[in-house]
Amino acid sequence: MPSHRMPSEADIISTVEFNHTGELLATGDKGGRVVIFQREPESKNAPHSQGEYDVYSTFQSHEPEFDYLKSLEIEEKINKIKWLPQQNAAHSLLSTNDKTIKLWKITERDKRPEGYNLKDEEGKLKDLSTVTSLQVPVLKPMDLMVEVSPRRVFANGHTYHINSISVNSDCETYMSADDLRINLWHLAITDRSFNIVDIKPANMEDLTEVITASEFHPHHCNLFVYSSSKGSLRLCDMRAAALCDKHSKLFEEPEDPSNRSFFSEIISSVSDVKFSHSGRYMLTRDYLTVKVWDLNMEARPIETYQVHDYLRSKLCSLYENDCIFDKFECAWNGSDSVIMTGAYNNFFRMFDRNTKRDVTLEASRESSKPRAVLKPRRVCVGGKRRRDDISVDSLDFTKKILHTAWHPAENIIAIAATNNLYIFQDKVNSDMH
Amino acid sequence: MEFKLEAHRIVSISLGKIYNSRVQRGGIKLHKNLLVSLVLRSARQVYLSDPCPSLYLAGHPGAPALPQQPGESVAGPPAGWGEPPPPAACAAWPEPEPQLELPAVPEVPRAGDAEPAATVTGAGDTLQGGEAEAAEAAWRRVEGPRETAVGGSDVFPQGFGAARRPCGCPPGDEDKMSASPRVDGCCAPRPAGPEPPVPPLVCPRKRGAEGVGGGPADFPAPGSTPLKKPRRNSEEQPGGAAAAAAQEEEEMETGNVANLISIFGSSFSGLLRKSPGGGREEAEGEESGPEAAEPGQICCDKPVLRDINPWSTAIVAF
Repeated sequence: MPSHRMPSEADIISTVEFNHTGELLATGDKGGRVVIFQREPESKNAPHSQGEYDVYSTFQSHEPEFDYLKSLEIEEKINKIKWLPQQNAAHSLLSTNDKTIKLWKITERDKRPEGYNLKDEEGKLKDLSTVTSLQVPVLKPMDLMVEVSPRRVFANGHTYHINSISVNSDCETYMSADDLRINLWHLAITDRSFNIVDIKPANMEDLTEVITASEFHPHHCNLFVYSSSKGSLRLCDMRAAALCDKHSKLFEEPEDPSNRSFFSEIISSVSDVKFSHSGRYMLTRDYLTVKVWDLNMEARPIETYQVHDYLRSKLCSLYENDCIFDKFECAWNGSDSVIMTGAYNNFFRMFDRNTKRDVTLEASRESSKPRAVLKPRRVCVGGKRRRDDISVDSLDFTKKILHTAWHPAENIIAIAATNNLYIFQDKVNSDMH
Repeated sequence: MEFKLEAHRIVSISLGKIYNSRVQRGGIKLHKNLLVSLVLRSARQVYLSDPCPSLYLAGHPGAPALPQQPGESVAGPPAGWGEPPPPAACAAWPEPEPQLELPAVPEVPRAGDAEPAATVTGAGDTLQGGEAEAAEAAWRRVEGPRETAVGGSDVFPQGFGAARRPCGCPPGDEDKMSASPRVDGCCAPRPAGPEPPVPPLVCPRKRGAEGVGGGPADFPAPGSTPLKKPRRNSEEQPGGAAAAAAQEEEEMETGNVANLISIFGSSFSGLLRKSPGGGREEAEGEESGPEAAEPGQICCDKPVLRDINPWSTAIVAF
């Protein structure tokens, strides 16, 4: 659903997240807004619009703030959205910017009471002399109204910039991570949180790594993982100690000395970590690769996929234009057989773990007419160039796909390309294999 | 040589990024600055590991290695970054070309400095007293923390120390961790301009260190210190009150990032003054330098100097 407004920086999508059923898709943007899309139920009457996503609700989640004590502006950009498992008719989600997490409740109203005795239809008080009889108000159907209200504000928990939030499988707690600390919150308690990870050194001069992402295990409510800027993953068990500074497992791959460069450290920084739906594996993204890790093997990933290795020789330029700091996310499909991540030039990549085949696709208006089939793209790195290949030097590095999401059950993906959201459905293979 | 050019370029780019991060919306991004500082460290190691004999001339042949101050955790460059250049040197910073040659002035026995010396005198007239005071104050503040980067503190200083060897002593072949940072003052021009207004507080420990970091060099008049202290106090009080009142009890400690710029500001121009020799190439970087400039053109090459200008000019403006 491309945005039809004039593109401005506030419209840049900063996070995308399906809810647990895939019925709802939430996006956050740099302007602090959240837009929720809802999948239209498939109907025989309108077969062409079956299963498409339409805007369900839009609200302003965060506003820019100014910390006067530190003379710091706090960006309103939504860094992450996480849905809570649905427990009643309402939907709830957590949204966070750099400093504050908010719990939003989304409710529907499709009926309204009519026939009050003391008020008229506009709500004005009736002249009591005109009331001659009593009536019981009845609920009449009305146009669907989606109401969003902030139920909790979890503030002042973080000194550094929040990079991730994750809801626990116990549905009562969640964690938020910033560069140096991870806090555990109870969803109902806003005035305090437990610090469960603290990697801040006593002397900041000794700082060598920061936390880059974190996630709770999908099934074991005591386990969580966090990734670091050094490329390592730490699996922690909250039962072991109150402060989980000692990891239960450390996942780290030794650096390949032949690839050493000025930028080795930057490109090994993990930008995203995701547990598989099964809970058996973890997926990490660093600048050039995605890796699959087995929780039972700490020494190295079990699979490594090159996202855009042709950039390895261009790291200096990418450092200069800041692209090397781009934080790409990664995603599993519902059956954990395919992994997906974004790249430049509005390309995104999918890797089939079983067949070991990969594909590069492009999210652009030109190539995405409704019901068009996405054509695989190819980046040529010299040598023979096929007709539709793109050369590395003509890649547009301003068009980056940092945020992607995969429907939990079906082959539907949401791709955020700057200020446009693309939703692709695989109608042919709508069931997961 | 290409590696050195590349390293040089990377250092200047990195410093620019660190500077820009301070004016970025949303505050300093710790992660990005940490990564930049790591790159900076690598690039500096490559750049400074060149054992060109004529590169560094002794400004302070007698400067001994400073013993670590108690409580200091970093083998930082001691106070002996060389004689603080006269305030006139700081005036040079706002100017593009002459500016970069000026900081080398204090290093008298330098080859080819006659011209810059003249320029200094001329430029010195433009400096206002306040600016000089502020520049000295900034210098002093730089000295305090002793570290040069988040996470890079244990390397930068040695890098500095390694660089500041008298000619003929290749710095690369000794244990850097234990190298006493003998700063012979050859590349110790002062950072110029007013003290950058970094919002986060430098922690009290750093301030204390700064106080005792006299060292062999003669530091600017104590009168400059009060310029900074009230500033610190004013920063501290609200902070202290906040700590008492708010749940958030600490500042985001990124003050050392600001110091990095100052430190690098001073040394970088010194690096530029090196007369290039046939340096050994360190096979660290794999990128090939884009410039085709002959080694002999490094110092005088206007495009190269222009690369450095924006950030140093920016610091002054800041």
